[in-house]
Amino acid sequence: MRAFLQAVALWGKKAPSHSITAIMITDDQQMIVTGSQEGQLCLWNLSSELKISAKELLFGHSAAVTCLARARDFSKQPFVVSAAENGEMCVWNVTNGQCVEKATLPYRHSAICYYHCSFRMTGEGWLLCCGEYQDILIIDAKSLVIIHTFTSSQSPDWINCMCIVHSMRIQEDSLLVVSVAGELKVWDLSSSINSIQEKKDVYEKESKFLNCLNCQTIRFCTYTERLLLVVFSKCWKVYDYCDFSLLWTEVSGSRQLFAGGEVLAAHRIIIWTEDGHSYIYQLLNSGLSKSIYPADGRVLKETIYPHLLCSTSGQENKSLPFVMGYMNERKEPFYKVLFSGEVSGRITLWHIPDVPVSKFDGSPREIPITATWTLQDNFDKHHSMSQSIIDHFSGLKDGTGTAVVTSSEYVPSHDKLICGCEDGTIFITQALNAAKAGLLEGNSLLKGSLPHKVLKGHHHSVTSLLYPHGLSSKLDQSWLISGDQNSWVILWDIFTEGILHKFFLQAGPVTSLLMSPENFKLRSNQVICCVCSDHSVALLHLEGRRCLLSARKHLFPVRMIKWHPVENFLIVGCADDSVYIWEIETGTLERHETGERARTILNCCDDSQLLKPESVLPVASETHRHKIVEQRCSSSYQLGPIPCPGLQVESSCKVADTKSFSGPFNVLPVKTKWSNIGFHILLFDLENLVELLLPTPICDVDPSSSFYGSEILRRAKSTVEKKTLTLKRNKTACGPLSVEAQAQPVSESPAQGDNTIKLSEENDGIKRQKKIKSSKKMQPKQSRKVDANLTIDTAKLLLSCLLPWGVDKELDNLCIKHLNILKLQGPVSLGLASNEDHFSLMLPGWDLCNAEVKKDYSKVNLFSRKVLDLSSKYTSTLPNQAGMPRGLENNSDSLQESNMIVYLLSKLFLVNKLVNMPLELACGIDSSFKVESVHNKMKSPGNDISNISSFYGYLRNGKSESHLPEADVSLLKLISCWRDQYVQVLVFLERCLTLGPFLISYQEEAKVTEAIQAVLLAEVQQHMKTLRKTPVNSEAVSLAENGDYEMMQILPRMEWAKEPELQCITDTLPLKTPVSPVKHDSNSNSANFQDTEDMPDRCVLEESESPGERRHHLWIAKVCSCKLC
Amino acid sequence: MATVMAATTAERAVLEEEFRWLLHDEVHAVLRQLQDILKEASLRFTLPGSGTEGPTKQENFILGSCGTDQVKGVLTLQGDALSQADVNLKTPRNNQLLHFAFREDKQWKLQQIQDARNHVSQAIYLLTNRDESYQFRTGAEVLKLMDAVMLQLTRARNRLTTPATLTLPEIAASGLTRMFAPALPSDLLVNVYINLNKLCLTVYQLHALQPNSSKNFRPSGGAVLHSPGAMFEWGTQRLEVSHVHKVECVIPWLNDALVFFTVSLQLCQQLKDKISVFSSYWSYRPF
Repeated sequence: MRAFLQAVALWGKKAPSHSITAIMITDDQQMIVTGSQEGQLCLWNLSSELKISAKELLFGHSAAVTCLARARDFSKQPFVVSAAENGEMCVWNVTNGQCVEKATLPYRHSAICYYHCSFRMTGEGWLLCCGEYQDILIIDAKSLVIIHTFTSSQSPDWINCMCIVHSMRIQEDSLLVVSVAGELKVWDLSSSINSIQEKKDVYEKESKFLNCLNCQTIRFCTYTERLLLVVFSKCWKVYDYCDFSLLWTEVSGSRQLFAGGEVLAAHRIIIWTEDGHSYIYQLLNSGLSKSIYPADGRVLKETIYPHLLCSTSGQENKSLPFVMGYMNERKEPFYKVLFSGEVSGRITLWHIPDVPVSKFDGSPREIPITATWTLQDNFDKHHSMSQSIIDHFSGLKDGTGTAVVTSSEYVPSHDKLICGCEDGTIFITQALNAAKAGLLEGNSLLKGSLPHKVLKGHHHSVTSLLYPHGLSSKLDQSWLISGDQNSWVILWDIFTEGILHKFFLQAGPVTSLLMSPENFKLRSNQVICCVCSDHSVALLHLEGRRCLLSARKHLFPVRMIKWHPVENFLIVGCADDSVYIWEIETGTLERHETGERARTILNCCDDSQLLKPESVLPVASETHRHKIVEQRCSSSYQLGPIPCPGLQVESSCKVADTKSFSGPFNVLPVKTKWSNIGFHILLFDLENLVELLLPTPICDVDPSSSFYGSEILRRAKSTVEKKTLTLKRNKTACGPLSVEAQAQPVSESPAQGDNTIKLSEENDGIKRQKKIKSSKKMQPKQSRKVDANLTIDTAKLLLSCLLPWGVDKELDNLCIKHLNILKLQGPVSLGLASNEDHFSLMLPGWDLCNAEVKKDYSKVNLFSRKVLDLSSKYTSTLPNQAGMPRGLENNSDSLQESNMIVYLLSKLFLVNKLVNMPLELACGIDSSFKVESVHNKMKSPGNDISNISSFYGYLRNGKSESHLPEADVSLLKLISCWRDQYVQVLVFLERCLTLGPFLISYQEEAKVTEAIQAVLLAEVQQHMKTLRKTPVNSEAVSLAENGDYEMMQILPRMEWAKEPELQCITDTLPLKTPVSPVKHDSNSNSANFQDTEDMPDRCVLEESESPGERRHHLWIAKVCSCKLC
Repeated sequence: MATVMAATTAERAVLEEEFRWLLHDEVHAVLRQLQDILKEASLRFTLPGSGTEGPTKQENFILGSCGTDQVKGVLTLQGDALSQADVNLKTPRNNQLLHFAFREDKQWKLQQIQDARNHVSQAIYLLTNRDESYQFRTGAEVLKLMDAVMLQLTRARNRLTTPATLTLPEIAASGLTRMFAPALPSDLLVNVYINLNKLCLTVYQLHALQPNSSKNFRPSGGAVLHSPGAMFEWGTQRLEVSHVHKVECVIPWLNDALVFFTVSLQLCQQLKDKISVFSSYWSYRPF
């Protein structure tokens, strides 16, 4: 489901913080991958001239990343595995930023080595892991399941570091590790593969106590196959691999701590330190040493001693510790690169010469920095892309700089974005318009007059916001609560912009505002809970305008707030695992528990749990972030109007349920840890958008006709229809208001009108609001009505974001004219979700990462060259396909425009589905299970659906597709909400079967976004081609300008356009029978279709009113005849 | 209203000065204190290789329970390993006295102690090279360091306070049962773990369930301490716990270590709190 979420990030001027904890360069030397303390991974493009540019940020881990390693043979699959502090592991495809596999194991890894032995091993190889557990874990690289362990027979301990030794001489791979206590151990790798697979215990072959702590690295010299380099934090040593005898110890001179090292060549090593210096040594062989006479009577050993050749050092302004690595590539186009990542987020590269030499006088030579880069550099360089969502009007205010948003909240029911700023002001604006102004070109008009409100009352930065109505519909719609740095909490009326009350908590900054769950009531009202950064918790009673309780005894940050509904207890869980129980009425501390008992108490009242968000709370923020992502992917509506918090948690699985609450557009504020800089993600729910665009016309049908209503009652089977039904009923029940709602958008010039109407509505005062409250049920519906306009706008914005502008100038203009969409200012930062809680976001400047596109600045927003290939492939699969809108040429331009938008979106949706399916299937063993569950979910329209599915099954069986069930299910769902466009679906299904080459080339390496863009480009090209031929009349342009006005009139008209279509199915399908028996089958099925049965009635009703009918009839016929030939 | 007015420039200057002092002086003072405490803690764990000469010293603990004296144990702890164990069990049924001890050549690692010790040394390692010569530039840097240290310390503490919950088959399969000479009788299971500051020894007496018994067999899940009546399947047999004996003994140095953990965690948190007072300053500019 989440795959239909298209995300666009609005980054703002400041880059999110990225404190590098792990760094690696991919084997093809084209990308740097870094992991951060904040939990994100960053992909950096590394050009062939060793220039760095950040490309993509990968979200998925909820704790600090501890290590990175390659997870496959890189030339075959560009997969990288990452492990986090809390045991999460992810395998990422680093070329497209998708999470391929994920797992959470109860182990914290500090290093991972990929091992594959092609001739003895089946599968994708092993990940050998070590960390905060005894010995070595062997994890399957594909499934991330623990296969077995390498166990030590003697003094098992944590392992600090390891390396795999491929020895040519003895034709055996070994694993060398050093334990925390300084014990060197060796396991046979290649010869123990079988025993591991049979789960037999494999013990170490050798072990030796090295008598040194904090081992950082162990490396084997493959050039001499003799020397072993072991780097400890205080010294580094060279051993003879044959008998592990010590050859040299070099103790760190100053207070530097060694952090790692690598063998450069035979007898040449590089050692680096924690503070970012590195030293290259030549190991000189002294021959038989005269000075060392072993006392134990062994043979004389030769010794070696190091000679410093070169050194490197980082920039002066540095922050500890550095994580460094060295990449030794002997193949020609590659460089020998030393790389480092800092906590500050800086990456530095040094190009190490093939033969490092010292200066002539023998003193070490300094190797200069080749390249250095930070995320912020990307943001500064591409500032046009790093637009924050409120930049354009916050600038108006003080003229100098733009305000820094410190907290924000999106209210989906009003499409309002509320932003609290650093200087204490709060902006309220229409989110969609703000987004448009930020992203699109030529919107200067919009920018200047963008309606927004400014609430002034705080004198310090606003640290938290809460819109209570969004959480509980019982609360007043006009209320907004904000908390600031100075411990003030203000209750606002957002419609009058007035302050209703100010609370002074006399505690630290208010870090978060929470609301008690619905089942918890105090004097029949819900209460607000403020958590402050001095670990105190205050409860506010809004109706009573008073502070109920201020709990100040907590020593550690508050992690968890729970409510005991029966006995009026507030249960506070702290970061040190202690629990405080407060009696709310009296404000006394009832109990304080720690340890086991505290855990039991917290587990007891699981029902009413609210997790504490972000910033000050280290681990809570982990869970919170996790939450965010989950919401985002489920259907993005936690922040929104889900009335019962209980629902949120399960929302990810019950998409069908949450769908009814959700809208097509959402704004998600995101913050990273240890920073109050945040950014916003715009989420477009493609599925929802298509759904909203399609059935809207039907539900707009005259509400008066009771006959029609009862008709619908009979037919109301699918969930979608159920929704429309209740909608309609409400409308008929409270006529005047709905009329008002319907009339509203017509009279309005985009958002301002909306605002003023709302305002006047709300200004009537609380009495009026009460009334509204009483007729609660219709409230959301009303806002949904307003959506109609919003939906189209959302769709347009989405199309603007997806279109590859600049590929064809003419095409651009045509799009602007005919689709009435605006060109992008610059490339957008698109997001891509790979599953429930893993997604990637492009960073500003990603477009310059593709070497091919680099030169071409006119091409804005082309994801990659691949898009063009894909789109031409796609075009070739639609040979004589007469698309739907082509038939509409004669229509008025604006009708065509909206139809076109709907058409394009539905195409995108389908492509998205198709393209996602094989991937899911690849990792889904439970696909059959899913099918069943979905079937259950769709029990209501069961008959029809199963009919279609069988029909579809026939279609696909011909092609012997392996992933048949998957495909079925998702398409079925689509069909169920698309009955009206039955023909179109069939057409598309058929074409999908011919999409083979397209899908295959997609699967190879492209991204979903690329596929989508390709299809979009192809489709647009297809349809604009026809338009290009017919000269565009000036009338159309003027019409397009009035688009918003037109839109409202179009919508009802579109509906006429759809009804006859259905009739056409019955008319035209018999024509097809001679073509194939399969289609005949479908025909008989569609006879069962209730919709079709109903058709005669409905048409009678509408025929008189629909002037466009005949035309549509014609073009449908055209479509079908096309299929005949 | 006037009191909440934005700080004047003079006030800001004072605040900035104060924050600079915090970053440059106070943080180091706290870190030094923290290091001292952690050093003390790690000494309790007697890290091998950290300057200790010779083998780590052995300590004997006599385990008993206040109620009955059916089980008595003398366990010898050497660092993080049990080097010797003598267990005397008086079977309640026939008052027969059973005695078993560790084999001479075997040691049993107490993983909880090992993990706690390793976590402490990780925390110490994080703090090395952060003395006066190191300049903290932002508050966030200190917070990150403190978070990392606190994570290690919390894990160290949790390792001691939460013993592993094992299922009975897991206990039966563990190497501990094979450590004894003479071998443990098949109707006995032994488990040793740390709970807070105590070294605990549990002895489970088992009896086989008749294959056709009327009792419905329900295998028990994982637990720190299984109660009589818990059932499990081992090999082909179905077994039930008939008696449970738990004896324990306080290890003084574990108690110290736990206190050190708590104190240092509080110290870390206090430093974090001090830093976050100035949070409006540190986020944007380095000092």
